[in-house]
Amino acid sequence: MSGPGVGWYLIVAAGLFGIGSLGVMLRRSPLIVLLSLEIMLNGANLALIAFARQVGSLDGQIFALAVMAVAAAEVAIGLGLIVAMARRDMALDVDQASALRG
Amino acid sequence: MIETPKVDWLALSPVLALLGASGIALLAAVLVPPWMRKTVSAVSVFAGFVVAAVFAGIVFDDTPQPEILLSESMARDQLGALAQLILAITGAAVVFAAWSERRRRHDAEYYSLLAAAGAGMMFFVQAENLMTLFLGLEWFSLCLYILVAIDTERATSLEAGLKYVIVGGFGSAVLLFGSALVFGATGELGFAQIAAAEAGDDAFLVTGLAMILAGLAFKVSAAPFHMWTPDVYQGAPTSVTAFMSAATKTAALVVTIRVLVTAFPDESQIWTIAVAVIACVSLAWGNLAALAQRDVKRILAFSSVSHAGFMLIAVAAASERGTEALLYYLVPYSAMSVGAFAVVAARERELDKPVTLEGLAGLGWERPFYGVALWIFMLGMAGFPLTGGFFGKLFVFSAAYEVGDWWLVLAGVAATALSLAYYLNIVRWLYMRSGAELRLAPAGGSPPRELALGVAVTAAIVVTVGSFFAAQPILDLASDAASSLPF
Repeated sequence: MSGPGVGWYLIVAAGLFGIGSLGVMLRRSPLIVLLSLEIMLNGANLALIAFARQVGSLDGQIFALAVMAVAAAEVAIGLGLIVAMARRDMALDVDQASALRG
Repeated sequence: MIETPKVDWLALSPVLALLGASGIALLAAVLVPPWMRKTVSAVSVFAGFVVAAVFAGIVFDDTPQPEILLSESMARDQLGALAQLILAITGAAVVFAAWSERRRRHDAEYYSLLAAAGAGMMFFVQAENLMTLFLGLEWFSLCLYILVAIDTERATSLEAGLKYVIVGGFGSAVLLFGSALVFGATGELGFAQIAAAEAGDDAFLVTGLAMILAGLAFKVSAAPFHMWTPDVYQGAPTSVTAFMSAATKTAALVVTIRVLVTAFPDESQIWTIAVAVIACVSLAWGNLAALAQRDVKRILAFSSVSHAGFMLIAVAAASERGTEALLYYLVPYSAMSVGAFAVVAARERELDKPVTLEGLAGLGWERPFYGVALWIFMLGMAGFPLTGGFFGKLFVFSAAYEVGDWWLVLAGVAATALSLAYYLNIVRWLYMRSGAELRLAPAGGSPPRELALGVAVTAAIVVTVGSFFAAQPILDLASDAASSLPF
């Protein structure tokens, strides 16, 4: 059974990546920003898996698995930071995180 | 008997030594009683960096020909080994510089993460396929995210950590998507196989290359991908800033030249131009922005952006001479930035607040050793003779001139002239204003003698000045290392 061509998968992947990067740049809540980072990484994962099926090598799929583990670690750190900020009653708003400037 | 894969343990030994040290430090955080936790973890991590340096030296000595190991995923060559040596010595110096930092909690965790970050960088510089490249990058980045935010009682540290996680994560996602596109264009992940696949002017390949370059530029903190640098450098604990500015840059630049030269030799027309443009933007932006800053850590952050520009000139030369120049430049640069941030850290503790230019006033008279040290580092960063910074810039310019990039030489010279303004301004504040005139009182009496920090600063001075007088031996090592890339 043949599914859609790799081009379609790539369009979805690029779409996810684009949505994610817009989210990182435009959203103000750090939680949503972390979520958007995940969407970017998963867009890249989808592209990797589609290409791996296309060229018939497992490398891309193994890569995608490794990326999932890394992404989970990254989010764990991000959420830890957000919890630490919330405990200190810091504003959970990326636009207000501007104590550091010159 | 089953067939087992051949694992070259010697090539992995620097990484393993540091991972072991990191594990011991982490265990110390729970098993060792609080009063000796810091000592145990610092000693084990220092030992880890020393052992890693020794093993990296053995690998350097023992690897005349580059070898590809572990199903084409990592390289054992002199380029990687020399970079590991620089990283290990930087790490060891940072252990000393960090010793006097007062931290309410997380002392052992701090050292453990420092060793883990060092191990990640050492793995990263050996990367030979896109998967190990991404995993190595994330390995040390994740450690650095936590290190930046480790002073959880300080709001600025948390803010810097959050900014670094977001921007760093964005950079790695861009790099990952680029890797996926290159994989799609060639069907390969290994650098050498990508080069051999001859995909031609495939749009995927070129887009992927651009995205990989951008992702690495985030880590190198080259403009216009540097927006996180000043905030993170300012907010992070100063010893972490020292480690990031020296070690992250070393690792990321060595990997940049490795991936560009081994995986994309056919596209060198495109990437040399791209790297040259990034270099020029970094030089201009870094130096101009540094002029406008008052906070010394921010000035040094922008100065590190401009140094990234200088080193990218060497990358843009795409020649063996360029790689030599880059590797030489990294030696005095690492020493100067660790040393300069260590002095700033000492002053920060003394004043108990962030160090601005005004905060430096009179430091040269009150603390002659720190004053002279910072003076040497600033002159070195500006590229004065009698410091390694002079030869660093000279080699970079001659490598660029040799391949006909005379406009990059012009940009570099103009940037050097511009940078004198803020480097000499720091020296002016050190000596020309007295603290009394500004009614600036030290935080509380005379500060405790910071012997460990003094050792780190002394070592940094020795390397900064020593790399001027020992330029030829270092250059010989660099040229051995450069010959392991296929030019």
